[in-house]
Amino acid sequence: MMQFFKTIHLMDYKNIVPKLVIGLVVAAIVLLPVVTKDVVILSMLIFSGLWAVAAMGFTLVLRTGQFSLGQSAFMAIGGYTCAILTVQMDFPFWPSFLLSGIISGLVAFLLGVVVLRVGGIYFSIITLALGEIVRIIALNWESVTRGSRGLVTSSPLPISIFGWELANFDASPVPYFYFMLCLVAITGVVFWRIGDSRLGQIFAGVALNPELAEHQGIHLMKYRIIAFTIAGVFTGYAGALYTHFLTVITPMVFGLWQSIQAMIMSIVGGISSLVGGPIIGGVLLYGLGDRLSRLQTPGLSQMVFGATVVLVLICLPKGTGLVELWDKFWKKVVWREVEYEHDEMED
Amino acid sequence: MSYLELQNVSKHFGRLAALDQLDLKVEKGEILGIVGPNGSGKTTLINLISGYFKPTKGQVFFENKRICCQRPDQITKKGIVRTFQSNVLFPGGTVVENLLISSHLNYNTRSWHSFFNTKKWKEDNEQAVGRAIELVNLLDLLNDIFLQADGLSHGYQRLLGIAMALTANPHVLLLDEPTTGMNHEEAMFVVDKIKKINEQGVTIILIEHNMKVLLGVATRVACLSFGTKIADGMPEDVMNHPEVVEAYLGTEVV
Repeated sequence: MMQFFKTIHLMDYKNIVPKLVIGLVVAAIVLLPVVTKDVVILSMLIFSGLWAVAAMGFTLVLRTGQFSLGQSAFMAIGGYTCAILTVQMDFPFWPSFLLSGIISGLVAFLLGVVVLRVGGIYFSIITLALGEIVRIIALNWESVTRGSRGLVTSSPLPISIFGWELANFDASPVPYFYFMLCLVAITGVVFWRIGDSRLGQIFAGVALNPELAEHQGIHLMKYRIIAFTIAGVFTGYAGALYTHFLTVITPMVFGLWQSIQAMIMSIVGGISSLVGGPIIGGVLLYGLGDRLSRLQTPGLSQMVFGATVVLVLICLPKGTGLVELWDKFWKKVVWREVEYEHDEMED
Repeated sequence: MSYLELQNVSKHFGRLAALDQLDLKVEKGEILGIVGPNGSGKTTLINLISGYFKPTKGQVFFENKRICCQRPDQITKKGIVRTFQSNVLFPGGTVVENLLISSHLNYNTRSWHSFFNTKKWKEDNEQAVGRAIELVNLLDLLNDIFLQADGLSHGYQRLLGIAMALTANPHVLLLDEPTTGMNHEEAMFVVDKIKKINEQGVTIILIEHNMKVLLGVATRVACLSFGTKIADGMPEDVMNHPEVVEAYLGTEVV
């Protein structure tokens, strides 16, 4: 259970070098479209960023001790909300996009009020069912969702300031790329502050020993619902952007496998970090899956994902994931710091 | 009406009556010891008062108000705090982290203050940390605050559990067998701390299996057996009460 306390912040080191490395990586990613406008690379990064947001949502809910298998349901709710508003109701893109996360958060809140009473494995099963419910509604409510044909979305209108075209979503994936970066950055900052603040401490208490936390005056339901709702909001936004970049949403886009994928990314990246872990997991695993899917072998990516989880859990059994490797690299390899362990204490 | 009063309280699990029509009065400032053999309903009693269980019948009053059927966190906010017999910590954290998580009621600012790291939050946090340090000092845990809490010895873990309960600023403290698994010396150390806490004006209900521990500390003792109260009074009187002796040792077979 170490991972709930041992929060790794990638920027935490007093020494400047690791910060510099992270700064350079971020700068390289931000400036990437200047170097290459390759659709394959950019779309891979866009999708992996959006999956990273979904994985962050999973990690946040996990921090309160709940195992959510409904991440894809919230992506679908966000995606469908945005698509229905823009395509069926002719709403402009930006207000629809804003609403998509809010609706998704609202569904999470209402569901949380009912479901988080039970918690534990029941919560996992009900969130699993939620994914199926959303899929079946999307399939059968033909007048609104157009059933299995799905909704074909159009790109947001170009943004121009004083006649100077700032972003043209139809011409290239670059505006979507920056859009994705903004979403990841906002989600990252919000989640980093949550993990660092009093809320993070309370979440740890709720996850580690709910009975004790409750008898110390912590209202369990309230904090579980807060985490679930916040995760729902940002996952919904990721789903909406995903839908518009893909230009189509059908009941098949977000299914059980996608929920499991978010979970695997979170675990492989490392749940000890609310932000860094899911991003590392999202980028690596989505990239891996993308490469594998080009080999035209069905089921291969599922197998490799499964094997990756097993490998990571064997090598890093505390659940700290790949983000731990970064920590170890700077502490042990580069600085040769000696770590004092207080785990065993004499009576 | 007394400070804390249980009126005709019963708790049934299926057809088993863990507590059967129990009446109990607790006066402000006293240390009430509750003894009884295994399965006599001592822990059920604590679970009822702290809101973990709801009574099948009867009422619990605190300061003349009904506290039945409220959630444990609501009852904690009213000032009735309990400790657990086992499973007393947040595993994986250090002593100070454990104390800060449990200091929930010492934080007066809302969550968004801490989210934006406002000045108000910093002051609030300082004050909560100060209170936690004060409590570890009271219980002689000061040297251990940066140690892994689940690496502490059993006795210190139990003491930490008590310190964590105290972070909720209780008026009534329910201690569920705080000295189990300790030798006499360690038990006396804990008893000494319990007296110290009581001197600060905290009413204490102390559940104890071992009557010898109670002798030095309790101002009044009640004995439970099969969910009913069989004796209530001064510690020495209760110890020599024939029904109590019978409950513990059985009747003489001649």
